[in-house]
Amino acid sequence: MKRSPLYTVLALAVLFLAVVPLGTSVFVLGFFLGDSPCILCWAQRIGMALVALIGLFVLRYGPKPKYLGLGVLVGAWGVFMAIRHSSLHLARDVGQGFALEMLGAHTYIWSFAVFWVCIVVMAAMLMKVPAEDLQPAAPRALRGIDRVALAGFLLVIAGTIVQAFASTGPPPFVGQSDPVRFSFDPRHWVWSLDEFSSAPVSVRGRWAIAKPDVTAVDPDPATAPLHSVPQLTIAGRRSLNLGLNGAPTDLAYDAASNRYLLTTEHGVYLTDGALQNVVRHTVIDPLFSVDMGRFAGAAFLGNDRIIAVTENKSYLVLRETGKADVDLNYRYFLESPEAFEEVSRARFATLRAKMMYVMSAAADPESHSIVTLTVPNAKSRNMVVSRFDMADMTLSEEFVPKLSAQPGIVLPEEGNPLAAYYVTAATIANGRLYALSAAHSTLFVIDLASRSVVAVYTIPGLAQPVGLVLKDAQFVIVSRDGTLASVDVPAAAGGHP
Amino acid sequence: MEFLTFLILFISAWVLWRRSEKERLAARLLIAGVVLMIFLFTLGTRTSLLPGLNY
Repeated sequence: MKRSPLYTVLALAVLFLAVVPLGTSVFVLGFFLGDSPCILCWAQRIGMALVALIGLFVLRYGPKPKYLGLGVLVGAWGVFMAIRHSSLHLARDVGQGFALEMLGAHTYIWSFAVFWVCIVVMAAMLMKVPAEDLQPAAPRALRGIDRVALAGFLLVIAGTIVQAFASTGPPPFVGQSDPVRFSFDPRHWVWSLDEFSSAPVSVRGRWAIAKPDVTAVDPDPATAPLHSVPQLTIAGRRSLNLGLNGAPTDLAYDAASNRYLLTTEHGVYLTDGALQNVVRHTVIDPLFSVDMGRFAGAAFLGNDRIIAVTENKSYLVLRETGKADVDLNYRYFLESPEAFEEVSRARFATLRAKMMYVMSAAADPESHSIVTLTVPNAKSRNMVVSRFDMADMTLSEEFVPKLSAQPGIVLPEEGNPLAAYYVTAATIANGRLYALSAAHSTLFVIDLASRSVVAVYTIPGLAQPVGLVLKDAQFVIVSRDGTLASVDVPAAAGGHP
Repeated sequence: MEFLTFLILFISAWVLWRRSEKERLAARLLIAGVVLMIFLFTLGTRTSLLPGLNY
């Protein structure tokens, strides 16, 4: 008596699975609307059919552990398939997706729901299976509801066989990544072996991006793709002696207050105008909230506010204060909790720069913007400038600087020369973005209005520069080892003629 | 291959219904379906086996 309702529930579940997701897919979406599944959709549909079939096995042979285990295994694999497939489309703009929608969601999302519900139902039923039912027994006699479930399953699978033959063909043909519209007319059938073509096997594909590393680049200007580039000379050097908690990662300067801003991996330091004394500092707690990564760029925002941008394009806005609530700030800071108030901790979102890290940031007071520059990686080799409006910290503009042959610059015959550079320091003045590449020790002067490189210079002798400011017609450059270098700004780059 | 897979599932269900004494055959066809499903999905995702998202 206890078992009968359980088997009835199972038969109804199989029938539901066969008729609603599987039956709708083949008869409504496929035969009526002309939808053809892609190779991943096919695998998910097979997974649903398998779950239903396993239910039929339990109806026929009882809840044997091997069928129950296989049901959970296929359900779990189905959830994985749904997540993997949906991940291609989940982050697109609102309303976008792939192929048909059902009840406001695309089919691959419904696959996730179906498999998840299958696992939940199987778990709930398992809790109700009597122990004696787990013993070997003869096949059960099918009741009416069981036969209806079986017939429904066979009918839907028969229809699916027809659709699969037309859409994907007999073996060895397989489904396609981008299938054509379904048709009963053989002239419109496309049978493909494209999925067997050679392709690299990878765990994370294009998402496997190594973290940026300024120590891994070649600083030699002689090996750069740009030739005949004019050279700037380092006018002076000295070492920072500020007691930072690690290697510097960026440098900014505020003429109004005659102060510098230095960052380390997670440290923020305000110094006097001579870079001799730290006047205020803190070390942030990078954990337990927005993943802050390592600070890569920093800038003054005005009104006692500063921003520090991380390699993964998260950012932190701090406000200077002398009376911060130390207890309230316990959560934000590891050192000097009285020195700053945290205004915001969030993330920049980009488009062209989405799959690249940044190692520099600068503020543009004229356009009231924050600007970042990407560093290339093995999968995305380019230099992308992203501009974010300070009003809402949202992307306002993105571009790859135009680089054309000009006096003093000889371009390579082919390829994108900017891809060889690794911008690790940047500053903005008078509408120009100065971007210093640690690779080949090269300084690019980019006109922000025309988005063009208007001048290029090499600065031999730099080693792993991470910060750049323009002060009193001199570039001040800080390197990862704490060395400060000063370079006179040439007239063509905005210096004194 | 999808055609073959659904054909196997159909035969498995048919055996289960009309030749229930041949449980081992039906179960082997079921396992073949599982293997083919995993093969097809892995074939289609081999350039990025895990979901393409931040980790």
